[in-house]
Amino acid sequence: MSALLAIVALLAGAYFVAVLEGWASTGRFRPAGPVLAGLSLLGRESVVPRRPDRIFFEVAPPLLLASAVLAAAVLPLAPGLIVADLATGALFVNAALAYVMVALLMAGWGPDGAYAMVGGFRFLGQLVAYSMLIVMPVTAVAMRAESLTTTEVVASQAPLPNALYQPVGFAVFLVAAMAVCFLPPFDLPTAPGELAGGVMAEYTGWRLAMMRLARAVLVVTLASSIAVFYLGGWLGPLLPPWAWTAAKTLAVAAAMLFVGRYVPRVREADLLAWCWKIGIPLALFNIFFVGVLLLVV
Amino acid sequence: MLLQTVFLAFFGLAAIWFAVVVFRTSSMVRSALALLFSQAAIGTMFLAMQTEFLGVLQIMMMATEMAIMAIFMVMYMMDPGGLSGMDMTHQKRVSIAAGVLGTAVAVGTALLVDWGPIAGVPRPGAQVHDLGIELMERSMLIFETAGVTILTAMVATTAIAIGPRGPRGGVDD
Repeated sequence: MSALLAIVALLAGAYFVAVLEGWASTGRFRPAGPVLAGLSLLGRESVVPRRPDRIFFEVAPPLLLASAVLAAAVLPLAPGLIVADLATGALFVNAALAYVMVALLMAGWGPDGAYAMVGGFRFLGQLVAYSMLIVMPVTAVAMRAESLTTTEVVASQAPLPNALYQPVGFAVFLVAAMAVCFLPPFDLPTAPGELAGGVMAEYTGWRLAMMRLARAVLVVTLASSIAVFYLGGWLGPLLPPWAWTAAKTLAVAAAMLFVGRYVPRVREADLLAWCWKIGIPLALFNIFFVGVLLLVV
Repeated sequence: MLLQTVFLAFFGLAAIWFAVVVFRTSSMVRSALALLFSQAAIGTMFLAMQTEFLGVLQIMMMATEMAIMAIFMVMYMMDPGGLSGMDMTHQKRVSIAAGVLGTAVAVGTALLVDWGPIAGVPRPGAQVHDLGIELMERSMLIFETAGVTILTAMVATTAIAIGPRGPRGGVDD
């Protein structure tokens, strides 16, 4: 039952994200846009490029979707409304998100196209930049909750949400989350206007529709993880718990999408340099800071 | 219990099959990702054996490690796509002998050793807690030594890779 509800919630979230993304990138608000675009993609031929690595080419879109859905499975929508309340929930999110990179590497190598391959390997470099900035802030979140269980992480934020308790970790995680779902300004693997779509360049028809759906679900998953880890998840006055989760998730997704409109795309080398020289010291400071708060205050 | 055994056998066979695929293909990326899925299948075996933390950790770590290995294999091999019929295998007799011997030892150990009664499984939450205590108490020295060694190796390789600078050093000038 909660699995079905979670899938409906993910699809609804993906729809809103697609509408918001269209709004953020074109400046026009078109509520029917995602449905029309999806139908038109499904109606078109899905071309397979010449001499592909067929297994990778076919597996990449479903793997991208599966990793985003699996990561969402351990994030609670409301008390009791969670697909799998694992004892290692916060770690499992990282494990599932690691396969986003595997899917994009496959999508890059599979079609035997230059743009796609550059995009795929770019995302591998991007992972080297962001992955520590996902894991280390989550460590500090788990330290406060004294548990890796996502529901206990939410419960630990009843006095004060983590966004205020550990603002440095929140900022670092937000940037890293945008890099995971390759949103502008971190859209290096797709890079429209430079790589002509990159990892998505050779996909057409229903396969492209699945890639785009997976990307939208990924944005929802990351926004939801920020809501759970830093904004207190379902906690809030007046409204029912699920409404708070939905509102926080959509607000984070909207913020992530609209920031990209005003920031130029970063260079791969700059992203790596900034993440390692600025991001990791900040994340380490955050762990130290939370440790001091927990032990002393 | 039966379901657990079935899952364990299934993912065990999957791990072996993907390990075979590693050597059947000539494409470096296929080879690396086949190794990834072999390791991920072992992670799923951990999950089937109710060791949740180890399973999730294995599945998470291997994705990154094997993908980074793929990029090195593509960089260093002259034929990363495996389109020119390059033969990657060598020392075949020694390899076959080592493989047969290794399998015999593993199967013999599994069948001949008296494993005793099956131990009870603590709750997943308790496993995470116990593992943390283990890492911070008895095994701390081992893990810290390993961590510092790896870090030293990373810094050293980076320092070597940067190369000399100045008017006569470096390739570009």
